[in-house]
Amino acid sequence: MTEKMIGIYICTGCDIGNCIDVQKLCDGVSEEYNPDVVQTRPSLCHAAGPDLIKNDIKEKDLNGVVIGACSHRFHNKTFSFDKEILTERVNLREQVAWSQEARNEDTQMLAEDLMRMGLAKIKSILNPKPYIPEDPSKNILVLGGGISGITAAIEGAKAGYEIILIEKEDMLGGWSNNLFKQIPLEPPFQEPQERIISEKILELQGNKNIHSFLSTNIEKISGEPGNFKVLLSKSGEQTSLKAGAIVLATGWKPYDANKLTHLSYNSSQDIITNIEFEKMANDGNIRIPSSGKDPKSVVFIQCAGSRDKGHLPYCSNYCCGTSLKQAKYLLNIFPETNVYIIYKDIRTPGHYEEFYKHLQNEERLFLTKGDVREINVNGGLEVDFQSDLFREEIRIDADLVVLAMGMTPSNSEDLNLAYRKGKGLPELKYSFPDSHFICFPYESRRTGIHAAGTARAPMDIPSSMEDAGGAMLKAIQCVEATGRGESVHPRSGDQSWPELYMQRCTDCKRCTEECPFGSYDETESGTPLPNPARCRRCGICLGACPERIINFSNFSINSVSEMIRAVHVPDEFEEKPRILAFVCENDAYPAFDMAGLKRLKYSSFVRIIPVRCIGSINKVWISDALSQGFDGIIQIGCKPGDDYQCHYIHGSELTEKRGENIQETLDKMMLESERIKTVFLEINEYDKIPDIINDYVEEIELVGMNPFKGM
Amino acid sequence: MRNPILVIGGGISGITTAIEIAEVGHEVVLVEKLPYLGGKVIKFHEYFPKLCPPYCGLEINFKRIRENPRIKYFTSSTIEKISGDKGDYQAVIRHEAQMVNNNCTACGACVDVCPVERENEYNYGLDKTKAIYLPHELAFPFKFTIDENACKKQACSKCVEVCDYNAIHLNAIPATTDLKVSSLVFATGWEPYDANKLEILGFGKHPDIITNVMFERFTAPNGPTGGKLLRPSNGETPQNVIFVQCAGSRDENHLPYCSAVCCSASLKHALKVREKNPEAKARIFYIDLRVTGRNEDFLNKVKEDEGIELIKGKAGKIEIENNEIYVIAEDIASGRRLKTKADLVVLATGIVPSAVESIENGTEGFLDQLQNGYIASGCAKRPMDVSASLKDATAAALKAIQL
Amino acid sequence: MEFTPDIGFIRKLKRNSKAPLKQCMQCGNCTVVCELSPVEYPYPRKEMQWAAWGLKDKLVTDPDIWLCHQCGDCSTYCPRGVKPADVLASLRQESIIHHAKPRWMGRLMSYPLFLPVALILPLAIIILILLLAGTLNTQVNPVNYGTFFPHAILNSTFGSLFLLTVIGMIFSIRSFWKDLKKSYPPDKAQKSFFKSFLEAIREIITHRKFNKCQTVKYRTYAHFLVFWGFVILLFVTLFAILSVIFWEYPIPLWNPIKIAGNIAFLMLFTGTSIMIFERIFNKEKAGNTVYFDWVFLIVFYLLILTGPVLEIARFTNWSGGYIWYILHLVLVWFIIIFLPYTKFAHMIYRTIAVAYLRYSGRK
Repeated sequence: MTEKMIGIYICTGCDIGNCIDVQKLCDGVSEEYNPDVVQTRPSLCHAAGPDLIKNDIKEKDLNGVVIGACSHRFHNKTFSFDKEILTERVNLREQVAWSQEARNEDTQMLAEDLMRMGLAKIKSILNPKPYIPEDPSKNILVLGGGISGITAAIEGAKAGYEIILIEKEDMLGGWSNNLFKQIPLEPPFQEPQERIISEKILELQGNKNIHSFLSTNIEKISGEPGNFKVLLSKSGEQTSLKAGAIVLATGWKPYDANKLTHLSYNSSQDIITNIEFEKMANDGNIRIPSSGKDPKSVVFIQCAGSRDKGHLPYCSNYCCGTSLKQAKYLLNIFPETNVYIIYKDIRTPGHYEEFYKHLQNEERLFLTKGDVREINVNGGLEVDFQSDLFREEIRIDADLVVLAMGMTPSNSEDLNLAYRKGKGLPELKYSFPDSHFICFPYESRRTGIHAAGTARAPMDIPSSMEDAGGAMLKAIQCVEATGRGESVHPRSGDQSWPELYMQRCTDCKRCTEECPFGSYDETESGTPLPNPARCRRCGICLGACPERIINFSNFSINSVSEMIRAVHVPDEFEEKPRILAFVCENDAYPAFDMAGLKRLKYSSFVRIIPVRCIGSINKVWISDALSQGFDGIIQIGCKPGDDYQCHYIHGSELTEKRGENIQETLDKMMLESERIKTVFLEINEYDKIPDIINDYVEEIELVGMNPFKGM
Repeated sequence: MRNPILVIGGGISGITTAIEIAEVGHEVVLVEKLPYLGGKVIKFHEYFPKLCPPYCGLEINFKRIRENPRIKYFTSSTIEKISGDKGDYQAVIRHEAQMVNNNCTACGACVDVCPVERENEYNYGLDKTKAIYLPHELAFPFKFTIDENACKKQACSKCVEVCDYNAIHLNAIPATTDLKVSSLVFATGWEPYDANKLEILGFGKHPDIITNVMFERFTAPNGPTGGKLLRPSNGETPQNVIFVQCAGSRDENHLPYCSAVCCSASLKHALKVREKNPEAKARIFYIDLRVTGRNEDFLNKVKEDEGIELIKGKAGKIEIENNEIYVIAEDIASGRRLKTKADLVVLATGIVPSAVESIENGTEGFLDQLQNGYIASGCAKRPMDVSASLKDATAAALKAIQL
Repeated sequence: MEFTPDIGFIRKLKRNSKAPLKQCMQCGNCTVVCELSPVEYPYPRKEMQWAAWGLKDKLVTDPDIWLCHQCGDCSTYCPRGVKPADVLASLRQESIIHHAKPRWMGRLMSYPLFLPVALILPLAIIILILLLAGTLNTQVNPVNYGTFFPHAILNSTFGSLFLLTVIGMIFSIRSFWKDLKKSYPPDKAQKSFFKSFLEAIREIITHRKFNKCQTVKYRTYAHFLVFWGFVILLFVTLFAILSVIFWEYPIPLWNPIKIAGNIAFLMLFTGTSIMIFERIFNKEKAGNTVYFDWVFLIVFYLLILTGPVLEIARFTNWSGGYIWYILHLVLVWFIIIFLPYTKFAHMIYRTIAVAYLRYSGRK
């Protein structure tokens, strides 16, 4: 390892120079760390500043630069130099000049500590060397040959990628094959349009970049993005191939109508599902099943199983439009037939409203809001419902009842992942596999495997087709990023990855269990087998490992321990407590910056260390800090729970679970439990920061100084 | 090497399309007319159904932009001209006069001396900022900007005097950039429906009749009230808040389509009313509750709240008598024509596609039938919520990188 | 309740109202913007649901359609453009036919093909009477309608025919009353029907409710003119009859009664002219006008117009006046004798409906 040649650059602009004694700061840290260059500038971010640093790098062979200026969230490009140059930003603006008393002894101590921490860190890290799987594949595997899978394949192939499409049935098309027609998508939104699947299949078959495998199942998928080893089986015959990423488009199943006892599905063959009805329509044979006659009075019952806590608690999204479309079939074929639709709410968002409106004009279509109580089967069918619009109990005599069945996702275990964490994708809710469904709809907890269409959420055909495009893009992005040795979202572009010092591994399985992305597989004896291309670089495994053998080149047990040790902890009698704050870099850290921007003042006793996720906090740092004489440790992360905001799914939740272990540490050291505190902070709650910090400092002052000080 | 891809509109859809393209490995240029990225969602306090702050996802996205060498962005810029055909377009980008340049460190010295105030666009005009201002706390790019219409320019120049960084140039002039691009994505987004057109709903006749987008600002910590939900008229905490659904949407006299997001948005707002003041009552008058997919859980959560009433029946008229607001609606289930007094009324105004000149529009101004290889992304295409917009924005990214 | 939609009725309603009534999405906006709709079980949202389902029985017996003054606010603000005002107007036609005694008379009167019969029949009868009376002489000079059609014969003929009308009307009202009681049992009745009736009359003569209409203000004024013109003329006619019996006839021009009659003419003429003008040139706001409306309006208009012709003929001694007099009587017949079977019946039903609303205690 070449020796580090380090330059310190301190900006005195934006009040930094007014707030602290910069000269004293430089002198103090120089004495301790012997940097090769120490420079101050009134506005370091302006052209002369970066040029000066670049010049020093060249002239004085610097390979590390510590910049004491604004938060690292600003001027990234200004202060980015050659790839080999390690750059560390020390936040003297937001965390010192803008949030502390100017010209104050404690503020000066804070600034000096922060600089020391930066220096200590830069001395203990290395630039990452990217991990790239051997000969990474850029081919994309699409599982499922329905409308989503076909669209994904076509769109991906059009972008120039080789696509392998797997369908377990002997023909492409999936549910769409049973469709008679589709809801219209273009003005005037009046007549159901021809189904799109046929032309899509032709388009797919005409594309040389798409290789379809029919009647084929996935036997096993192992490996990692760029290098998924896929074992296929077709009537007993096995083939293996390699893929870079996967789109899961295995579609949906209708909810089991037999479970809808109040709708008497079992009691009459004239009560059918919308799937059965669509098939009759497609066969050109809409009849009353029992008599074979033309229906005269047909009732559609919406939300049959959907929006029902006893069945499917969610809305299946497609049923309102579908029933309107199916009603239109009937009205077109049988001009003398009355068609009724009983709904809870008609949900025709966007331009579907136009279709709804046009259909309403059908003379023999009758819509009303109502709760169907029961269907009496005695000869004919009597549908009894309570209607709010009529404000009375209504009975309709029907000869055919169609239940608008809800949608359930197919089983993602069809993937047959040979992963330690299971064969399929983890579920978020109601068997649908996704995670950050608002901001990052394609974020997958199995890197490189993206669910699309109804396998991901209930949706109709146009939505599925859009979704297929989105999932395919993410799959393509994954193979490209993997080829560059970079992480995908949320740490996009990060080339660091966890390296394990296996000699000291005790096979405790903590890393394999806690990794939210299933990066680690395991040998039979429980030894972790890392798959770095699956890794999203959150560092949760680093936080989990009791043996401290998991490290990133630029974020390690040692680098943080060094930062902790760099802090000068005053002795007990100075009555200056020190609080260590581990702050999530995604949300809490920006919140501290915003607090600074708002010039909110908080205690200068706090020393902030940003972490990738509070799940990446290793217990050893806590004992290090306590032995070092820190009086309290506060970990600030994102909200856990059902509506979690943690970018790594359960990173912040783990901190709570790990609390017990930490309690043990405290007990061992005979310290009070108040010395560790976890706070969940939303990014826009910057206004709460002064209270959080100051209250904690007060609490610690009440508990008293850490007895380990100066030991 | 192919020409860069141009994404027009720096709202959440445009940002997402641009980032997703860049992270595949292509060059992208993102153009936004406002001085900051984030569009409409950056003004939201929280997203439904998770009630989480948009800043959270946007910060990650801004970080992705900051750290990606393949994304170039221009704020305060618009498209002056587009020509060419699929795969080979030429665009002229117009940059408004950059009176505050990139030297700005956001130190804030200029604000203290600026003598002029302007209506704060970020807060829908509910409060004021100085003529030189930082758009909001998470502004990206993080620099001040000058409202050209409010600033007295050389006649004042006080900000220029105090700026230590030579960042302010009041005589700056607009500029243009010519660009050859390989794909064009329209992520031009939406505007809330103009509530002034809803005369029968009393907008503009009483300060306590506000729109749903304004409501967001009243609960946001960085809003005009610091996150306190207060009646604009007298600063008191509202006790009876009424939400008027389909204020303009599903209405042939206004917007014939359903804006798809307002039901869920009002559910969210009703929960905020209750959170801010547990004594308060919230009533939502609706035609159909269109809370699709798994958001049904969110609807159930609202239904469990005893302080929130969901009433089927459109609140079609608002009367003001003796300075009190009365909302009139038919409570269809109970068969009564209600006249309810409210101390805050929130009109759930819908989504109107932002006008895009020189482009053949589709249904009702949405870009749903684009020709010439143009690509639409997000609400420019159809009314949709954030999640659906991002799905669409990601799919648009794939279209944009196709050969 | 077992529902069977009446498709024919839906078609008829659609045809008559020209409203895309099926397109209603049941938002209730119409109920909200209606200034006249009661608090309990308001209209017209519920009527629109029944109409979309073709529930004829509910609709023709629904008293609420009579509370509507067709001011058009509901149509103006309807988000779906389904024109509830026009639907209710068509329903009122159906209600008049439904309650008409005998009902076939109602039905006949709504057929355009029947119009010649409805005019020729009275004409024939009048001419027959005049022939029988032997007074059919259009050359009598000076012009004296009293000798042309002796008052005694005129009064007794029209009087007895009117009696028949009143009897028919009583049966109609009886069936309407039953509907009222069935729809809104007067459980909460606080006052006598008579008191309610007086209140209703007060409301009607002041046009207080009518005045709340926003969309078509002119309709209120026009109706106000027509209403009062008609009332004044009614008194003038009564006075004329008395005058024939007790005082002098014809009444001199300077007589206040005569002056009142002429003013009433002007009111009627102006009001009806506005109505017709608006229905022709301002279709959008005035609402849809069908045969049922036109025939009443035009016959009424002609009736009004023939009045001054007779008056002028008398003063100028123009013998053509006799022909006009016959025409005038035919029109009077059409308006008065056929009252229960034309749109004119709205006067009766609306008054009762408004009175009943007050009487029943429904808010």
